Amino acid sequence: MNVLPRSLTLAASLIVGLSGCADRPDWLQPINYEPPPLPPRIYVANESTNDVSVIDATTFQPVGTIATKNHSTHDLAISRDGRRLYATNLASGRISVIDTRKLETIASIYTGERCHVVALTNDNNQLWVANIGENTISIIDTTTFRILGTIPVGKGPTGLAFSHDGRFAYVSSQGDKSVGVIDTSTHQVVKTIPVGANPHFLVVSRDGHVWGVNTGENDVYVLDPETHEKVGTFVVGDKPQQIAFGYKGTQGPLAYVTVGSQNKVVGLGGDPKNLKIVDEIAVGEGPNGIWSNPEGTRLFVAHDKGNEIRVIDTGTGQTLATVPVGRKPIRVVVSR
Amino acid sequence: MMTTGQLAATAGIVGLFLGFTGISNAQNVPVGSATNAIGTLTIVRTDGVEQRLQGKGNVPLYEGDALKTDGNSQALIEFKEGIQVALNESTSFKLLSRWEQDKPTTRILRLKQGEVWAKTSGGPKLFEVETPVATAAVKETEFNLKVQDDGQSILTVIEGVVSFGTPFGTCPIRTDTISYGVRGKKCTKPAETDAKAARSWTDALRMPGK
Repeated sequence: MNVLPRSLTLAASLIVGLSGCADRPDWLQPINYEPPPLPPRIYVANESTNDVSVIDATTFQPVGTIATKNHSTHDLAISRDGRRLYATNLASGRISVIDTRKLETIASIYTGERCHVVALTNDNNQLWVANIGENTISIIDTTTFRILGTIPVGKGPTGLAFSHDGRFAYVSSQGDKSVGVIDTSTHQVVKTIPVGANPHFLVVSRDGHVWGVNTGENDVYVLDPETHEKVGTFVVGDKPQQIAFGYKGTQGPLAYVTVGSQNKVVGLGGDPKNLKIVDEIAVGEGPNGIWSNPEGTRLFVAHDKGNEIRVIDTGTGQTLATVPVGRKPIRVVVSR
Repeated sequence: MMTTGQLAATAGIVGLFLGFTGISNAQNVPVGSATNAIGTLTIVRTDGVEQRLQGKGNVPLYEGDALKTDGNSQALIEFKEGIQVALNESTSFKLLSRWEQDKPTTRILRLKQGEVWAKTSGGPKLFEVETPVATAAVKETEFNLKVQDDGQSILTVIEGVVSFGTPFGTCPIRTDTISYGVRGKKCTKPAETDAKAARSWTDALRMPGK
């Protein structure tokens, strides 16, 4: 238990009560007890079992399964301290708030029809959620869980990411074949960038470039964070899904893309204007979600057909572990 | 009369039940009812089925229902928790809730357009009205909230305190003051106003005999 012994707390309280509050000695001051941090964990959203699988990121052993208390669990966002996990639930239109220490869903917040993707602001004070069915972003206060406002965006928002400096949010919209750039100080869409058919997943790389996949054109694209122009594109194959960044020995960072129909992960490198394939890793059936460790030496790949997570060593391309999860795992995130 | 022990046991059973059911968004348990309409109140269920109230009545309302009045209609609804809400003309909102572990359900109205008046009674409630740009959260209060076409939200507090928040900040708005919520800004500093006048449009709904 991560609490002080009850008897000690009680005794201290009694002494404080008897002595009054005016001249409380230092040793009787309230103790701000911080529980030890959780070890790194892998969290996997399972769309068809409406839950989140939890795996120890060091031993790759299952830790448990968390019911989201909603339907069609799809996307995940993890707080920087790893204490809160947020899951979208497409069919319910709700966000599940998960206490990662208790492994429990502690709140359920309706955002909008077909709530799809979720991202935390850089200070983790707000949660932005894209609702495909309403063409909006809902903004949730992560302390009170209140919806503080909504932002109208393009048709079918399916990807969401923040710039490193927090000045902009990027929202991909399938119906408009574009990425909208939202000024976070005014909540206005300040630019719309045409990117191709069925843009979906969005992520910001370590150098600040915005990477996205077009499931309708089988390619990935790169946006310049300063000019907000599309500067590069590369066809990776049928059903490109998600992107994570890592190193293959001395090469990198590479953008590792899951290619759903080809059961492989493609590693793209080079200048964003002149991308090339640097690495290809054969994986299991239906690779979809992908995440890398902070060092960029491990990939965690969710397989929506194989119902498993594979942990891959980027240096050798070898699978270090295969862990069964729930049905149709879509998204994987890993706490620090 | 129940003893303290019986009350505690009952509360425990209720808590156990709430814990077991988890999220209170079941669509077969009424969360309140529509009790009066001048003109027509249209209720659209989550499956698209519509039901209408004209005059006095008792139409059950469920989680996820969308309620709307046209340009010639007003209506009054009541939640089980003891919250009265009046809809002015050309108003529409959706009935939602937020579930949090170990807490009562927070009743939420997502106000898309128009104007509502709300009053809680019988102790503190967890009640919020969301607009496109702001949220009003209350416990024990009476207030009026109007959403304009551009999303600007005008909150008038008739009695009590309302926590009025936008993504840029939250401020407490107190009795007889008014505040505005605009996209991209914090709500305005509360200004004194004749708050009781803000509810005059509800008189015919709440006191039809007068």
